[in-house]
Amino acid sequence: MTVARRVPFAGVVLPVTALLVAVAVWWALTVALAIPPFLLPSPAAVVARLAGNPDLYLTNAVETLRKILAGGAVGIGVGFSLALVVWAVPLLERAIFPYLVAARVLPKIAVAPIFLIYFGVGFETAILFVALIVFFPVVVGTAAGLDRTPESHLDLLRSVDAGPLRTFRYVRLPHALPDVFAGVKQSVTLAVVGAVVAEWILSNDGLGSLILVASENVQVDVMLAALSVLLGVGLCLYGGVALAYRAVAWD
Amino acid sequence: MIRVENLAVSYGDLRALDDVSLDIDEGEFVTVVGPSGCGKTTLLRTIGGLESPTTGRVSIDGDPPEAAQADARLGFVFQDHTLLPWKTALENVTFLRRMAGKDSDPAGARELLATTGLDGFEDARPAELSGGMKQRVAIARAIHLGADVLLMDEPFGELDEITRDEMGVEILRLWRENRKTVVFVTHSVPEAVFLGDRCLVVSGAADGNVAAGNGSPGRVVAEFDIDLPRPRDESVFGSEAFGRQVAQVRGALHDGA
Repeated sequence: MTVARRVPFAGVVLPVTALLVAVAVWWALTVALAIPPFLLPSPAAVVARLAGNPDLYLTNAVETLRKILAGGAVGIGVGFSLALVVWAVPLLERAIFPYLVAARVLPKIAVAPIFLIYFGVGFETAILFVALIVFFPVVVGTAAGLDRTPESHLDLLRSVDAGPLRTFRYVRLPHALPDVFAGVKQSVTLAVVGAVVAEWILSNDGLGSLILVASENVQVDVMLAALSVLLGVGLCLYGGVALAYRAVAWD
Repeated sequence: MIRVENLAVSYGDLRALDDVSLDIDEGEFVTVVGPSGCGKTTLLRTIGGLESPTTGRVSIDGDPPEAAQADARLGFVFQDHTLLPWKTALENVTFLRRMAGKDSDPAGARELLATTGLDGFEDARPAELSGGMKQRVAIARAIHLGADVLLMDEPFGELDEITRDEMGVEILRLWRENRKTVVFVTHSVPEAVFLGDRCLVVSGAADGNVAAGNGSPGRVVAEFDIDLPRPRDESVFGSEAFGRQVAQVRGALHDGA
């Protein structure tokens, strides 16, 4: 952890390095063991797939990304707002916060079939599902962050009668940001999982769907091509959040 | 003028302060010395309106502390520097004034930082400043606020002794130049004597629990006029008069305890 922190853009650089090593090993294995392509195609075959029909992967990647971004925005927005309300009303906090924490343990994937019954197949259902997954880490992170302001800082603001709104805007919220972002970072990873699961169960497009169809046709090269695009999408998102964090972070 | 009349402060069964009455003149530098948990911080916080009197009253120029807060007449300096870590030194100085709803005066803040020896550190964040520098920023912030009264709660408590002495000389200079009323809480007797026009000795125990029947609430048990000549600097520490005053205050502390 401490070493990783010293690497600039660690959130991007380290995973990319690991990926390159893995690809090299994979290639060496396919060549050395002469593995038949239908079992495990070489990286070159996967790249050929990607290059052969870039539109297919691009269109599907855009579909998946739309779900992640729309669902992520809804989940972060609702999660952040709910955390504010829960934090501002101590009665609510004591009544429902234990459940918000406990609900993180629940595998949200198991909820997808229920969504299917209530909301049917479609983009909106997928967004709802991604939002649900993103929601929990953001709520917990934000709520923890809002309690992070040192008492002495609140005393300082009180000593000039700054009022609750100013105190919140200029002191409490900035103090909470590192925790809010910790929640969002967790959410990004989960959002990608959520989008793929949504595409398996709740909609018929995107990279998740492409992988599922390719699996039925035993097209391992298509699956791996889609997977690598998915990995790229996930890394970009994670990197984006990390960059946004650096822009506003103070710790 | 600050007036404290028959002040008592309790937290449930815990009596932190009892029967404190005192007047502090405009421009006076009053130090409050006592052991940890004696109630001296409670006294300061009640004067500043951060705690409410259980009985008795506090007034700042005739107004309740809440009114003085609203007019930005009270400048607190806490033991914890309370600088916002995401703001630069300059932004931290101007920040509190903005929070008090006063017009901003960045030029004045810059000048003040320069006179507190922080020239060139305007854009440094608290993490890049030493403990002494952080407290200088916190003091500059309180002065820049435009407060007439500085309420200082062991502001040098976390600093090493050498820095502490330097900061003492520094705060006297700032006080001389800005003519504020200062109430300065410390557990260091030499510091209290070195800084103050007047030194109040507070005695009491934190476990002043009435129900348990032990401990005692904080009271002002002695008061000394410090007649060391001003302006004072480090040379005072070696003087005979200083040593005598310190011994007197120490004696009162031990009698009170």
